[in-house]
Amino acid sequence: MTTPNLQGTFQNEVEQHKKILYKVCNAYCRDRDSREDLAQEIMFQLWRSYGKFDGRCQFSTWMYRIALNVAISFYRSEGARTRLVISDEQHLLGAVDKEERQPEEVRVLHEFIAELDPLCKALILLYLDGNTYQEIADIVGITETNVATKISRLKNKMKQEFSGIKQV
Amino acid sequence: MDLDGLKEKWLEQDRKLDETIRLNRQLLIAAKMNGVRSPLQRFFFLVSLGASIGLIILVILGRFIHAHWAEPRFALPAMVLQVWVIASLAASIRQMAMALQIDYDKPIAAIQKQIESLRVLRIRITQWALLTGQVVWWTPFLIVALKGFWYVDAYQVFGTALLSANLAVGLAIIPLAIWVSKRFGDRMGRSPVMRRLMRELAGYNMNAATDFLATLSKFENETRD
Repeated sequence: MTTPNLQGTFQNEVEQHKKILYKVCNAYCRDRDSREDLAQEIMFQLWRSYGKFDGRCQFSTWMYRIALNVAISFYRSEGARTRLVISDEQHLLGAVDKEERQPEEVRVLHEFIAELDPLCKALILLYLDGNTYQEIADIVGITETNVATKISRLKNKMKQEFSGIKQV
Repeated sequence: MDLDGLKEKWLEQDRKLDETIRLNRQLLIAAKMNGVRSPLQRFFFLVSLGASIGLIILVILGRFIHAHWAEPRFALPAMVLQVWVIASLAASIRQMAMALQIDYDKPIAAIQKQIESLRVLRIRITQWALLTGQVVWWTPFLIVALKGFWYVDAYQVFGTALLSANLAVGLAIIPLAIWVSKRFGDRMGRSPVMRRLMRELAGYNMNAATDFLATLSKFENETRD
């Protein structure tokens, strides 16, 4: 595939799966600037690896792997970052901050995710997005049994922490 | 609250996201082309730069040693510097090799382990370079630089006693630097780079990295108990 074709295909694929970018950035960063930094880093890494994408797995699986790997590294790094800014009004992901549109339950869920460690954040995001245990195991690189154990623990943790809050 | 119940709400919200999120195409193109921004690229560039400078210094020192082979008082400090530069160079090459192996489209647990191992290596190298540097940067460097660039004999100008004292001070700085970084590291400067350096010298970042490696191992190996 020629470079302009490759770029076009890449942009279309990312456009179709922009929700992944949005959800990962939201789960790993609390403020808008960090989300923008992370979105840009993920985008760069996706493009860098896109030439090697052979279609053996779904684009969404591949995109999740890269986005989560970059997000976990980003979450753990302390270095200064330089952001690509064209103007204050421009952001890579336009709706990142519109959390007021979310229903109460989803907001509570976001709070629960925010408190988790970076690895469990990845697990719960993949689970909530409807991935099977096998798919989660492939993305995270652990066994299916291990995924089942961890998801079960997360469910219990959620029940315990929110036992006092109204039932959904 | 039940996670499976919330999953339905989450997916319902997810369906609406396509309408609410706007991906800025102009920034998308700019972000994917802007390679210098990537932390790993930056790290790789800095390590390569350090290695290139190290190679140049290695050649200069080699020529100095060759020219002063018959004068151990000049050749020996140059050899000490040479060993330090060779060790730094080897460390840089090892870091570059590790950085090259990191492929973000591989499974998360494996890649995070690689990244954290690279972080541990980088912290060890920073600690080692800063601390042993106190011995080689001052006295041996002074002797070699004065002789090499200005043909001045540091032993005659400063006297052996002063040079020995300088070396002793360099050695004494090592435990002092560790103590200062542990005691005052968090208060020293607002620069993130300085703060990170202090935390690395104090060993805090190393503890965090080794803790995360242990968490990763536990995360990978855990099964239903």
